[in-house]
Amino acid sequence: MAVSDNMDREIKVKVDHMTKRFGDLLVLDDISFNVKKGEFLCIVGPTGCGKTTFLNCITKLYEPTSGEILLNNEPVNLKKHNVSYIFQEYSTMSWLTVEENIAFGLKMKKRPQEEINLAVAEMLEVVGLTDYKDYYPAELSTSMLQRVVIARAFATKPELLLMDEPYGQLDIDLRFKLEDELLKLWRATGTTVIFITHNIEEAVYLSENILILTNKPTSIKEYMKNELPWPRNVVSPEFVKVRNRVTELIKWW
Amino acid sequence: MKTRFRGASKYETAICAAISIFVFLCLWELAVRTTAVGLFISSPITVIGKTLRSIVEPLGTHTIQGHVLWSLSRVAVGFVVGSVAGVVVGVLMGWYRIFEAIVRPLFEVIRPIPPIAWIPLAILWFGLGESSKYFLIFLAVFSNVTMNAYSGARAVDQTLVGAAKMLGANNRQVFTSIVLPSCVPQIFAGLQIGLGSGWATVVAAEMVRSSEGVGWVITKGQDLNNPLQILVGIVGIGVIGYILAVLMRAIEAKLCVWSERGK
Ligand SMILES: Nc1ncnc2c1ncn2[C@@H]1O[C@H](COP(=O)(O)OP(=O)(O)OP(=O)(O)O)[C@@H](O)[C@H]1O
Ligand SMILES: [Mg+2]
Repeated sequence: MAVSDNMDREIKVKVDHMTKRFGDLLVLDDISFNVKKGEFLCIVGPTGCGKTTFLNCITKLYEPTSGEILLNNEPVNLKKHNVSYIFQEYSTMSWLTVEENIAFGLKMKKRPQEEINLAVAEMLEVVGLTDYKDYYPAELSTSMLQRVVIARAFATKPELLLMDEPYGQLDIDLRFKLEDELLKLWRATGTTVIFITHNIEEAVYLSENILILTNKPTSIKEYMKNELPWPRNVVSPEFVKVRNRVTELIKWW
Repeated sequence: MKTRFRGASKYETAICAAISIFVFLCLWELAVRTTAVGLFISSPITVIGKTLRSIVEPLGTHTIQGHVLWSLSRVAVGFVVGSVAGVVVGVLMGWYRIFEAIVRPLFEVIRPIPPIAWIPLAILWFGLGESSKYFLIFLAVFSNVTMNAYSGARAVDQTLVGAAKMLGANNRQVFTSIVLPSCVPQIFAGLQIGLGSGWATVVAAEMVRSSEGVGWVITKGQDLNNPLQILVGIVGIGVIGYILAVLMRAIEAKLCVWSERGK
């Protein structure tokens, strides 16, 4: 089960006075916060405030203009640290079957074949795509594609999983289903998750902590602990209370 | 979702092809019988008859299938060398900016020159034998395959490259596991066009000088003032060109199940 009191957990990601500019455009303005090991953090913020930019800084796609991001107390090194990133855009390899897509990361990391087979079979089961393992992406629906991408990310057993509005384009039923799948995977693996979303309900449903960002130049508006007990019910009065509080904070934009 | 998507069945496609060819032949036959067209061209029945007869009665030193095999063997050499070189140059040029900066200007100057424009030079450089024909076919295949592989490699989805890197792929793995497979459909398009223009080029090359091959059949027909033999040559070129295209598509369908379905 998830631990809601995470005081004594070690720090996984340390964001230390990070600033990011694109030329004259100040996007992230002196941001500092920590993510504990095994934590599920949701980041909400207005469009264009720099959420994707922040993830890109973690993964070294961009260099921060100043400040730094530490993973396990050292600068991020993708060769050494096992970080998975689920992009805002779907990104399955169209020439690989579902099974081969899920195995991709493990293949790149040159894991032994038996380990790959086991991990892939397990992931197929969790995301409910076992019957579709020989299908190609062109034959799948959007929600199935997104599951392939999630299974592919979890198959490598990442220590840190970054998700950039992964469910933004899904309808509500599917979103609920995939959110539950994600929570199941998170609990089973103990992975640290940073999850970006526009959707307040989604953030309250998934997170242990919520980071609310301001408009550009972006700073932290509020860091909020979300101590709702599991399993959560989106229509319960406590849930609605937390949701309203976040909505209230966001109205200040 | 459980049943896989399928286009028109092979059977339907074959029937349509047969009907369309049959109708064309009927119109031709009709035109020959009822109009002045008959003064210039033999009827399809005569042409087909002659073509079939040339399977046992040699035209010159070879039967028709002998000529076809000669031409095909020349195309085979030029096609294999041209496509390997084309894929390598095209993909490297599309993926590595430095390689592109160096090679592309050269390639762009050579590309618009039609292969037959090289015939005189090819003969000067390689003589009248086989090598000059290989060289011409090579050029035809190479420029088409390179161009397609190049645009394929340029169009590689950067999100996929990012995703692969995040999943632990190094630069070499990104190249072999993302860039190359992404280009396969484009490479096949290039091979298809390349094979077609290679086949057209061999005919042109054989018309310049040779003692066998479908090109020779046509030129010899002209020398002998024998339009029927010319038509036999043309039918041979058409039929073989068609078979080559069908074969290439079949191979592509086998190898690119994933993109074939996506179309
Ligand atoms: N490579 C870049 N060069 C210049 N400006 C950029 C670059 N990437 C992002 N930006 C700018 O930085 C700002 C933040 O972009 P970013 O994509 O991080 O926003 P976001 O919060 O992810 O938005 P959304 O909610 O729409 O996904 C935007 O104004 C964008 O135009
Ligand atoms: Mg974004």
